[in-house]
Amino acid sequence: MSKASNDMFRRVVILGIALSGGIALLGGLIGFFVAGTNGLVSALIGASLTAVFGTLTALSVWFGSKLPLGGFFGLVLGGWLVKIIGFSFVIAALTEATFINGPVLFFTLVAAIFGTLAVDTVVVLKARIPVIGD
Amino acid sequence: MDVTTVAELSGNIAVVGYGLAAIGPGIGVGLVVSKTIESIARQPELAAKLQVTMWLGIAFTEALALIGLATPFIFA
Repeated sequence: MSKASNDMFRRVVILGIALSGGIALLGGLIGFFVAGTNGLVSALIGASLTAVFGTLTALSVWFGSKLPLGGFFGLVLGGWLVKIIGFSFVIAALTEATFINGPVLFFTLVAAIFGTLAVDTVVVLKARIPVIGD
Repeated sequence: MDVTTVAELSGNIAVVGYGLAAIGPGIGVGLVVSKTIESIARQPELAAKLQVTMWLGIAFTEALALIGLATPFIFA
């Protein structure tokens, strides 16, 4: 892994968390006016879920790329599998919760996902990854 | 003619939704990774660039999975 790739992944993680925090604030404000405290909590949970799961993907590729090729794919795909199963359990638990406002959580989650995807794309497009590692 | 019940299914249809939300992105991520392995085998010197591109492909594909799994919040 080159220094440029390290810098790029560091920027992706920092910007992704910052953007999710911003969306959590904005979504929490809107959620609070729409559904009171339940809306605020739902927006915070929705944005946090995206921050955690989006960051884990970037981290698995970042640290996986320091391993041999088999370890890289094992870490990335294993991480993906564990993440999807974990996410299913979290969602199943939250749908039963009484302190959740479903639409607020869903739309905050979707907004945070689209936002982090846009940030990821911009960072990758701006990154200068050398063909030969240093 | 009498109507008879040949087969009866019981349970929550949302489970089928969970399955669909997992199978599509599962195939997508599999394709992204298989093509990356193929490309690295052809040109190992491009591994760093290909890994970054693969990560972007996985991020877009898993977005579908996350949105699909979260749909019970609006459709339930």
